[in-house]
Amino acid sequence: MAELSLHKIAISGPTLASVIQSFSTSPGAVDGLLFGHVTYVTPSTLSDDSASESSTLVATITGFLCSGTINSFYDSTGTVDPSSLHRLLIIGWFSGRRKTNLRPSMREFAVTASLSSMTQFAFSVKNAPESTNFNPCVFLLLSSPLADQPIHTHEYRGYQFRKVTESFDPKSMDIVNIGPAFRGHYGSFSPNAPFPSLACDLGHSPMNEDKDEGSLNQMKQVLKEQKELDICAEGFQVGSLSRLMGSEATNYTAGLENLYEKMLLKVENLARQVERSSAQVLEQENHNRRLRYKFLKSVVPE
Amino acid sequence: MAIPTSNVPPFIAAQLNHLLNHFPLTLKVEQMWSGSKYYPGVFDRFTLVIPYCLEYIRWDVIYNVESPTAAPDVIFGPEDEDFHPFHMEFAEGQLGLKSSNKCLSDWNNKDPTRLLALIQYLRDQYVSYQRKRVGEVDDDRLKFEISTIFSREGIEMHMSSGAEKPEEVKFAVPLMDMNINDMVPGCPWRQTQKIFLQVIYPVGRKYMSAPSAPRLKLVSTPELKDLFSIEDVKLPAWLDGMCLAEYLPHLEESLVKQVKEAVSLIDIRRNFIEALACQFGRPLEADPVFCRKATVLSASGVFTFLVHFLIPTQFPKQQPSLLLQSSQHFNSQRAPIKSRPLNDYPWSPRWETSLMAERIFEFLAEEALNFKRQLNDGQLQ
Repeated sequence: MAELSLHKIAISGPTLASVIQSFSTSPGAVDGLLFGHVTYVTPSTLSDDSASESSTLVATITGFLCSGTINSFYDSTGTVDPSSLHRLLIIGWFSGRRKTNLRPSMREFAVTASLSSMTQFAFSVKNAPESTNFNPCVFLLLSSPLADQPIHTHEYRGYQFRKVTESFDPKSMDIVNIGPAFRGHYGSFSPNAPFPSLACDLGHSPMNEDKDEGSLNQMKQVLKEQKELDICAEGFQVGSLSRLMGSEATNYTAGLENLYEKMLLKVENLARQVERSSAQVLEQENHNRRLRYKFLKSVVPE
Repeated sequence: MAIPTSNVPPFIAAQLNHLLNHFPLTLKVEQMWSGSKYYPGVFDRFTLVIPYCLEYIRWDVIYNVESPTAAPDVIFGPEDEDFHPFHMEFAEGQLGLKSSNKCLSDWNNKDPTRLLALIQYLRDQYVSYQRKRVGEVDDDRLKFEISTIFSREGIEMHMSSGAEKPEEVKFAVPLMDMNINDMVPGCPWRQTQKIFLQVIYPVGRKYMSAPSAPRLKLVSTPELKDLFSIEDVKLPAWLDGMCLAEYLPHLEESLVKQVKEAVSLIDIRRNFIEALACQFGRPLEADPVFCRKATVLSASGVFTFLVHFLIPTQFPKQQPSLLLQSSQHFNSQRAPIKSRPLNDYPWSPRWETSLMAERIFEFLAEEALNFKRQLNDGQLQ
């Protein structure tokens, strides 16, 4: 089977900004995973002279996970540890390093080669005429220029790793920004990596009756989570949303407003808690950094 | 180059210093800088300049001060984007993988020898990578040359190609399987001195009926010039249809002869310096190893001056260059005034060294008066 060549790599402006942000706020070099999908897209602008290719293959990055450090899912030799990526649907990875040339390094090559050779991470291409699989071969490289420059502070480049030639193929990056033109793309940016599923079904619908409910432990877990969710929506069931319609509506609006007020209060409370814990985390991080620096200074090789 | 140790974390400094002091070739660190957000003054990355094929390659070694225990990463030059050292051997078979990959997988930041092992391994891989690239060039002459000199050890090859310059293949062929260092008594060289033949083949000119002669040049390690100047060597002509395997034996034979002669000339220079002592008295200073320099004190009446003898490697075929230095006259910067180099005085290579010294002494007796007059007239600065 011929290797599929990507036409381009698409990423939404906010996602790219967010990747750059997590790179630029990290103390050192970082790596991370890229989530998304690969889709056959029929170009919307039809022109007479581009008859050669009716549809193109686009890799869309919908999300990412930044590890905040290096060697997070691979070792020094660049060999990927498959167990650390268990159950994740990734299309590639990224690496960010300060003040370095914008060229894949020795280890980045090894990691990408290792990752794209693991068949267990292959995923199927969307809208494909026949079922085709694609290996996670997208690599996004971020760096900052060697010399400090006032305006130009970050650089990035997208690559597809080609298994046949064992080389990086630079791909153009299509940055889709929110705006009128974005509407058409909207659907393609919905995340598709499996999120830990929270069981929050509305009571017992007849559809679920005959399903195997799994072990007792699982049920307990589900119940516990349901309870936590219920606390958030205290005094209000999803089912009663139906009261928004019809004769009861006027009475019910007041009740709803009340609920929203309560929720807002809770959210505010939560925000404050998050703020406090963030401050503590920052303090701890600073402390760790000081310790690490002290360690660095004290390491006197024998 | 001295490493600015104050800015470099000790574990990096230890590995880098070990590398610079123990690598068989002379490495240089071109620049060092920091990649850390919070410690911009702590240098954790640097560019290594590594001699390869009589030129230099530049590799960026990237440590991370935030992850001190992690092995460094390397970014190779822009023209070497297909060089994947750890992948190459992966493709060639898994056998060697475990042993040599160790320099990364067993990384220990407290062991100062690790960086050396890594760079040595990478350079070895680079040699075979370039050899493979050159082997893939579609050129019959080149394929033949490679097949006939393949058994020679230490040949380095380099494939250079660019948009604007024509494709070329460079060979650096180490010549003469002998240790010049061992031939020099009291040898001060730390590095083993070598002579290389650089051979540059133009490739990719398919339309030419007969391949043109390659460009040839002798290159030596820099310190060798104290003993032997390769600029004095006349390369044998490259005949039409010749190949390297035919060319090298003649060249090496003549080089071996010339180097041996150059070594034997050290003793003649030593004899000459010893003969100077009979005329001028004991030299104030002399080069004891290669006998290329000697300085004596001389006087003409009350006018005392130094005579510097600069003795060429071709001595006695070429006469020494003399330089007079007054011990009584100084220029405006308070430096002693020297004469112009004197190269034109009675000389014959066939004279005995004692006669050479005698004739120079006679010549200087007259020249001293000249020198003194020039000094007094303010002609010299």
